[in-house]
Amino acid sequence: MLSVSRTAGGQSGSPDTLDFPLNIRAGAEVIGPVIYFIDRNNLSAEGFISADLNERYGLYAGGGYSDYRYSQYNYEYRSKGLFFKAGVDINILPPEKSMGRYWAGVGLRYGISTFNSEVPSFDFENYWGSLSPSISSSDYFAHYLEASPGFKAEMFRHFTMGWSVNIRRLIYSGAGKDLRPIYFPGFGSGSGKMSFGISYYFAANIQWKKIKVIVKQEAPPEEDETANQ
Amino acid sequence: MILAVIMMLVSCTPESCLEETDANIKAPFYLNTAKAVKAPDSLTVYGLNTGQLKIYNSAKNVTRAELPLDPVRKRCDFVLKINGTPDTITMFYDSYPHLISIECGYTYYFTIDSVIYSRNLVDTVMIRNPFVTTANEENIRIYY
Repeated sequence: MLSVSRTAGGQSGSPDTLDFPLNIRAGAEVIGPVIYFIDRNNLSAEGFISADLNERYGLYAGGGYSDYRYSQYNYEYRSKGLFFKAGVDINILPPEKSMGRYWAGVGLRYGISTFNSEVPSFDFENYWGSLSPSISSSDYFAHYLEASPGFKAEMFRHFTMGWSVNIRRLIYSGAGKDLRPIYFPGFGSGSGKMSFGISYYFAANIQWKKIKVIVKQEAPPEEDETANQ
Repeated sequence: MILAVIMMLVSCTPESCLEETDANIKAPFYLNTAKAVKAPDSLTVYGLNTGQLKIYNSAKNVTRAELPLDPVRKRCDFVLKINGTPDTITMFYDSYPHLISIECGYTYYFTIDSVIYSRNLVDTVMIRNPFVTTANEENIRIYY
């Protein structure tokens, strides 16, 4: 999978080349389904494909489905919908360490969330009496940005595992100030403009191309001339 | 570690509601002659046709009344007895639901359209801010 070859005339300090495999990965996030087995009120299923463009950059496209329910003593809430995100993955590992098998870096993504939300009931009480009204379902279209620093590694042939921390910034909620959604599929809690999460994913990967990458050789340590005297 | 993170994510419980949840009309009392805030010596307020269930019952030192509105209707009639003299104030308004926060849930906000009132002791009722929310803002001013 990996070979390092010295270029013609390669000498100390001159660049070497490395055969670097570029992979296509297709995978799924696993924390969402695991949470669903523990808490049946919150289903989030997410998949993605990504493709290495070179040893540093890759393209990413993902999407998923979310069915979120929340209830507390004075209201119930539900949102259901899809989300899509696309962006780039930036690998900060040097090619001779990455070797096409390891990746550490950050993913930068733009996400859209299209969903409907409703409040099946909420409690209201004041001097004039008690009510349990509902707020009917409305459609929303929200946008967000995501930065996902993380790590992934090819654990076995054609099988990659990885994790990332997800930092998201809502840029458009698609809602007025009165009935802001409590939860945005793909983004998370609507309590603020920022949300945070953790993703853990499995992926199948296959090499689609191999490129030659120049690898800088470290300069050998200078000889101590006094030692030879 | 992963399991611990998952358990932490699942077990997140909402925080307590620490915000104001009642969107009442805030109505300070102004003495008409001095044009300054002055609490009536005695204040009684109740909704018309509510069996005289009191909002204020011979209350003293109330410089600002808080009047709840009925979200089911578009008007509310209040009887105000300022220093024993009864007046009626009728509010016309629209209501709409509003999310206070995830912790507190939903309430109703209101937009006052107009006010009509009797003038036994009340001189003027002035709309200062028609948007009735949970914010601490004066909505109407009652001169007497």
